[in-house]
Amino acid sequence: MARHQGGSVAVPPPTVRPIRKVLIANRGEIALRVVRACQELGISSVAVYSDADAQAPHVREADEAVWIGPAAASESYLKGDHLIEVARAVGADAIHPGYGFLSEREWFARAVRDAGLIWIGPPAEAIAAMGSKTAARTLAIAAGTPVVPGTTEALRDAADATAVAARFGYPVLLKAAAGGGGKGMRVVREPGEIAAALASAQREAKNAFGDDAVYVEKYIEGPRHVEIQILADQYGNCIALGERECSIQRRHQKMIEEAPSVAVSPDLRKRMGDAAVAAARAAGYVNAGTCEFLLAKNGEFYFLEMNTRIQVEHPVTELVMGVDLVQWQLRIAAGEALPFTEAPAPRGWAIECRITSEDPANGFLPSTGRIAYLHIPSGPGVRWDGGIEVGSVVGLSYDPLLAKLIVFAPTRDAAIARMERALQELVIDGVETSREFHLRVLADAEFRRGEIDIQWLESRLPALLATAPPAETVHVAAIAAALIADRERRSPAATGVAARVASGARDARSTESDWARTARLDARRGL
Amino acid sequence: MKYLVDVNGVRVDVVLDTDGVTVNGARELAQLTDVEGTPVRLVTIGGVQHRVVARGRGTRGTYALWVDGWRFDVEALDERARAIRELSAALQGPAGPAPVVAPMPGLIVRVDVAVGDRVAAGQGVVVMEAMKMENELRAQAAGIVRVVNAVVGTAVEKGTRLIEFELEA
Repeated sequence: MARHQGGSVAVPPPTVRPIRKVLIANRGEIALRVVRACQELGISSVAVYSDADAQAPHVREADEAVWIGPAAASESYLKGDHLIEVARAVGADAIHPGYGFLSEREWFARAVRDAGLIWIGPPAEAIAAMGSKTAARTLAIAAGTPVVPGTTEALRDAADATAVAARFGYPVLLKAAAGGGGKGMRVVREPGEIAAALASAQREAKNAFGDDAVYVEKYIEGPRHVEIQILADQYGNCIALGERECSIQRRHQKMIEEAPSVAVSPDLRKRMGDAAVAAARAAGYVNAGTCEFLLAKNGEFYFLEMNTRIQVEHPVTELVMGVDLVQWQLRIAAGEALPFTEAPAPRGWAIECRITSEDPANGFLPSTGRIAYLHIPSGPGVRWDGGIEVGSVVGLSYDPLLAKLIVFAPTRDAAIARMERALQELVIDGVETSREFHLRVLADAEFRRGEIDIQWLESRLPALLATAPPAETVHVAAIAAALIADRERRSPAATGVAARVASGARDARSTESDWARTARLDARRGL
Repeated sequence: MKYLVDVNGVRVDVVLDTDGVTVNGARELAQLTDVEGTPVRLVTIGGVQHRVVARGRGTRGTYALWVDGWRFDVEALDERARAIRELSAALQGPAGPAPVVAPMPGLIVRVDVAVGDRVAAGQGVVVMEAMKMENELRAQAAGIVRVVNAVVGTAVEKGTRLIEFELEA
C-alpha cells in the first residue's frame, strides 16, 4: 500500500473502530455544526459549556451536555485534561475539537489518543509538523511546494528583525508562529516601524496563544488568498477538493469567502491541488485540512501554512463539491476509506458572509448585548450556520462570529444576487452586526467583477463605509423616523416592541406617571 | 404635527397628518404598522412597503434605524422639543473636544499620550484589547490632553472616560 508516499513524518497505524459517541470540545456555530453531522450519522453527541453558554443552542441540540467551568476560555474550553476526563466520564469514543481553542494543539491531540479516545483530526505528529508556521515552511520546502521567502526561526529581538528585513527588502510581514486568524500579524514598511510592530505582535501572540514567537517574511503586494481543501483517509488516499477564495479580509480576518475563485483555472486548480496534497502527504496528514496559498497576480502561488482542522469557511466547499466535510471527518476517524481517488470538478458558486457582532460604522469595535430578535433568511440556496438565537447573550469572552450566511447558485452573479436577497431578509436586533458591511461589499463594482486581492478590502473600506445611501432610502428613513417618534410621543409607555397591556383600567394605570400613582395611592390610604 | 428629522446629519422636515406625510411640499399617503411580536415595522409610503427596525438610543426621538439594507442614525423631534433642546445646548456653552471613551469593556494595553500633549484629530491615543484583538482608540478632534484616566494593564468598563481634552488656548 502506498501509504504516505514521500512522507517525512512517522504516523501511527490506522485505527478502525466505530464511533458511537462524540464529545465536542467547542462552542457556538461549529459545535452545532458537529452536533448536526453526528445526528445525521446516528452518533450521539456530547456538548460542553461554560457559564456563559449554559443557554446556548449547541448545548440544547446535543444529546448530552456537561458544564466545564467559568466563562473564561482558559478555565473552560481550553482545559484539555478536564475535557478528556469529561469524555471518559460520559463514555465518549471520540473528541471533535472544532476550530480555534484546542483544535491545533499537538499535546491535546496526543493526550486524547493516549487516553484511548479517537481524535477527530489529523495525528498529533501531523499537527506538530504543520502546527507551527516555521515548521510547516520547512516541510513544504522539502516537499517541493513553493513558499514565500522568509525566516524559519523565531525572531530574537528588534535588531534581529531589522537585519532580516533588510535582507528581504521592505515591506515585510511579522507573523505569530503559533497563530491563525491574523492575531499577532503586522506589516512593516520601513525600518523605523519595526521595533514597535514587533513588540505589539509579540504581545498579541502571547495573549492569544500563550506563545510570543514571531517570524518575518517578504511581503507580496496584491496577492489573493486562495486555499485548498484537503481530505485524507487513513489508507493513503489524499485528495484536494478545490479552492476557496478568501481575499476579502480585514486586518487579516476573513469576512467573505467563496468557491470557486474567479482567478483559478482548471489547470491552476490541478497544480495548486497537487502542491497541497504533496505538503499534506509530507506531514503524514489524515482527515480534513486546508493549505493556504498566496496567489500572485502573475499566477505564481506560495504555500503559507496548513490549518490542521476544519475551517470556518468549509461550507462553501461542501456546496460546490457536494461533500459533507464534517461527516467525512467523523467517517475518516472511524476508519472509513474515501470513496473517490480524484476530486470532482466544482459545480456552481457558493459565497459565505461571516455575520459578526462588530460595528462597521464604528471601526468594527465589538458590540455586546442580548439578541432581542432574530429573523433567519431562508428560501432556495440559502444556508445558515449559526450559534445564536433569540435570548443569546453576546459578550466579550469569545470570538465575535455570530453565524455564517452561505448561499449557493449556478453562477457567481446569481450567488451575489442571492446573498444580497438573503442579507436583506436577515434581521438581528440587540447587537450591531456586520450585515450592512456585507451589503456594501456585494454592491461594489470591483467585487462584482472579482477584481479583489487581500489588500482590496483595507483600501476600499473607508469608501465603502462612507457610501451615501440612495436619496430614496434617506427619504424613507426620514418619514419612518417621524412616524415612530410620533407614535412614541403619543404613548410614551409603548416604546419599541414592549408588549402593551390589552385594555381596561390596568392600561390606564400602566401609563400614569409616578407622580399620579403616588397621589392615587396616598389618596387610597386616606392621607 | 411637524417633525424636524436629522438623518445621518441631513435635516429633513416631515409634516404628519392623519394618514399621510408632507416632505418638501409633496404629500404622500404613509402609515406605520407593527409586525406583531417582532421589532420590525412596516412603513408604507405611497403604497410601497419598507421593513424598518428602530432601536432607541436613550434620548427621546433618537434611534438607530435599519431601512432597506442601510443603517441610519436619526433624530426626530417636534418643533417644540427641538427648540428646548437647542436652548439647553446653548446654555451649556462651548464644550472641549469629545473625550475618548471606552467603547467596550476591555484591557488597556497601551497609552500613547500624557497630560499636556497636543494631539491631532484622528491620532491614536489608547490601545485596548477586547475579544483578543487590539483596538486603537483615536481622538475625534485636535486638542490638548487634560486628564489621563487609562492605566496600562487595567480592565475598564464600557463608557469609562479614558482621556479628556481641552481646546488649544
